[in-house]
Amino acid sequence: MSRLPLVVLIATVALLAMGLVRPTQLGTTVGLASGSALPGMLHASTTPEDAVRSLFDDVRRRDFNRAYSQVANSSDVALAAFTRDLTGTHGSLKTYSGLESFETQLMHATDDDALVRVRLHWATAVGAIYEMRDLKVVREGQTWKVVWPAPSEPKVPPQVVPVTYLRWDVINRGPEDDWGTQNVDAPRVRIISMSAADNRNGVVVLGEIVNEDTVPAFVDVNATLLDAQGNPLAQESSFDKISHTLLPAGVSPYRIDFPGMKLDRVKSVRMDAKALLVPASADPVIAILNQRLDTAPQGKQVLRGELVNQSGQVVNISQVLATYYDNNGKVIWVSSGYVDQALLPQMPQPFQLEIPEDIAARVQTYRVVVNHYNSGQS
Amino acid sequence: MKLRLAPLCALILISAAIGTITIPATLRAATDTSAPKVKLDTSLMGPRAIEDITHKNIIRDYGLAWQTMARALAENQRDLLENGYLVGFAKERLTQALEDQVKIGVRVSYSHGVHNLQGIFYSPDGSAMELRDTAQVHIQVLDGNRVVHNEQATLRFIVLMTPGADRWQVRYLQAVP
Amino acid sequence: MRKLPFTFLLLIFGGVGVANPAELRVPPMVTAGNTFSIATSGRGEADFYLVGPGHVARQKIRLGEEIRIAGTDVRISGRYLAILRSAEGNTSAAFFVSAETPASLSFLAHPSRVPVGESQGIGAVAFPLDKFRNLVLQPVDVRFELQAKDAPPVSLVVQTKSGVAWTPMDSSRKAGVALLTAAVNGFRSTRVIQQVAATPCGLRVKAQRTARGLLVETDPVRDCLGNPVPDGTIVSFTIIGRKGKSTVDAPIKRGVASTQIPDPGAASISVASSVVIGNEIRVGEGQ
Repeated sequence: MSRLPLVVLIATVALLAMGLVRPTQLGTTVGLASGSALPGMLHASTTPEDAVRSLFDDVRRRDFNRAYSQVANSSDVALAAFTRDLTGTHGSLKTYSGLESFETQLMHATDDDALVRVRLHWATAVGAIYEMRDLKVVREGQTWKVVWPAPSEPKVPPQVVPVTYLRWDVINRGPEDDWGTQNVDAPRVRIISMSAADNRNGVVVLGEIVNEDTVPAFVDVNATLLDAQGNPLAQESSFDKISHTLLPAGVSPYRIDFPGMKLDRVKSVRMDAKALLVPASADPVIAILNQRLDTAPQGKQVLRGELVNQSGQVVNISQVLATYYDNNGKVIWVSSGYVDQALLPQMPQPFQLEIPEDIAARVQTYRVVVNHYNSGQS
Repeated sequence: MKLRLAPLCALILISAAIGTITIPATLRAATDTSAPKVKLDTSLMGPRAIEDITHKNIIRDYGLAWQTMARALAENQRDLLENGYLVGFAKERLTQALEDQVKIGVRVSYSHGVHNLQGIFYSPDGSAMELRDTAQVHIQVLDGNRVVHNEQATLRFIVLMTPGADRWQVRYLQAVP
Repeated sequence: MRKLPFTFLLLIFGGVGVANPAELRVPPMVTAGNTFSIATSGRGEADFYLVGPGHVARQKIRLGEEIRIAGTDVRISGRYLAILRSAEGNTSAAFFVSAETPASLSFLAHPSRVPVGESQGIGAVAFPLDKFRNLVLQPVDVRFELQAKDAPPVSLVVQTKSGVAWTPMDSSRKAGVALLTAAVNGFRSTRVIQQVAATPCGLRVKAQRTARGLLVETDPVRDCLGNPVPDGTIVSFTIIGRKGKSTVDAPIKRGVASTQIPDPGAASISVASSVVIGNEIRVGEGQ
């Protein structure tokens, strides 16, 4: 008879005995951030920063119920409102985002309350968005909890908003049509300014383009840097640093980045503006109110303002483009940023764009335009 | 009569040598299907001034159109015409010629020296260009494997080219006296 | 021994062929679609090939007889090869086929939209074609005519050179649809040109306070020739008040652009469209 089953039985009993007799040498649970407990087990935050970190760890894991358990003022802030505040609504950019990472900084503290600054890094469909919040944290017994600011969810009053703006549709000629058959021409667009400059990342080509036609245009601007012999050094596109859909007489800035390039290698720049005739609507009109240059709490120069969607439809995702001019009227920088909240009809939505330090000192005036994208529409 | 073998052998050898040199030269099909050399003179072209990049593209795309035509005719391959270098009237006519060739078993082979293009007209909106081509062309007509015609000629063409999505296309090609 | 030189010559030239090949007599130039004949000489049978642009044919013929070439074989202009292959050898001759009289044309008109009052703003290019769609290279007269609403027609005749006729034309002063026609030999081809208002001229803005804030609007927007600028054209309003600068890009509707914003208090208001700048006004607090 084989002795194998007996050997396995004896080994099992011995291992069990070892586990019970010898204590574990691990002080914390591996794989989780220090100070956190196993999922499903509530963690008592013993410091203000700990409380904020714990809450945003849960947000990063998208465990909003657990994150909500760290909120001190749950009687003022409902779970649904708390979750909406962090995940976005109305198809906004926030709804396509996830919390990538965060950093906390204790601003000040007493025995019973504290102020913690948290810098949030959201990964979105259009790149990274950074957000900063100052959160009050209070002590409840032996634990610290976060006082969540009651989110102000704007209520759009019920109303009827007639749509009277123009819309353009396009009918092109067919592929079988004879050569020379009547067709509709591509829109006439013109680059009205262009300049190339060095910046800390490489070379940038900046300027503005105008739609000189009476039909909407989908525009893109490409630039090729040429050396002294006329050979191309690099070619890039404006990508999203441009307002692609230009209505008649519309003006858009553009910025084309050439990372790692040096201006002293460049002899000339060949510009290529492409314009396609596309269907478009003149709605929605978005007002940009109360624009001002300001200094952010971290000391950075910013351009602030508010976007107001004057139409009756929700604008899901909006992008702000700012053109900065020096005292000669020359374009010296173009910056852009996405607003992570949807623009509800008639409801102001703040925005803020950082201005590079070396540019801020030279800005004489600026101009802001807004791109928008609505899901489910062309 | 006693034949002298040595002179007879010499004659046979000389004839064979001449045949070896000349017969393959005539039977060698003119199937040089590489893109030909093209030169473009736009000094007399107007009303629109030709852009540098258009100048280069015309030279490149005209050469590729001829290469396409030569290959299609030499190999009796209609599919080769779908590469977009020949369109409109030029493509229709070439397609018809290929159909006829296949039907009767004939092939026409071109090999070419230099194509000297002279710009005649470039429309103000850039949508059409007319050129005159003077080209050294070697033409062979083969019925099966038999060469029925062999010719080296200087030919003149009137050419109409129009811009496509990513190239200039030959829309019309006609030989003229 | 005397036969040796003759034998030598026979061997040398034998491979090349000593007999005279048949001859072809072709007309130097033929008009497309026309039937004609090619004379041949010699005796016996031969293969006749006709190789041209767009057409290749072969037929058996008797040498010494005329070869009838149907008009359908020479529809396409260009260079043709007539080739004879017989027991006596191959012979060939080239001839050209030229276009018939014009029966149609390829007409390029550009642009499809042109601002009013633009000198040489319209380009018309015509390529006359015969009924087989061959380019007519002989000089022919093409008549171009531009007919705009409320304007006398503008007409001119241009002779083709190397198969192309072109002319620039001025757009008229009134916005609207214009018909551009090219005609040759009774055949007409028409294109529609939209003459649109040029850039706005004399942009003027006005403002008034309402219950909802400040209503800012332009006077009817027209170009310098008095044509209304089309609806949908963007007008940019800039309002600078105590809270900062506000801008609204509003499209023209029924000839006027307007926008309503929260009351900015005392403010200066300016307007622009494309690269054209309008006037600037000031509104006082509660004015």
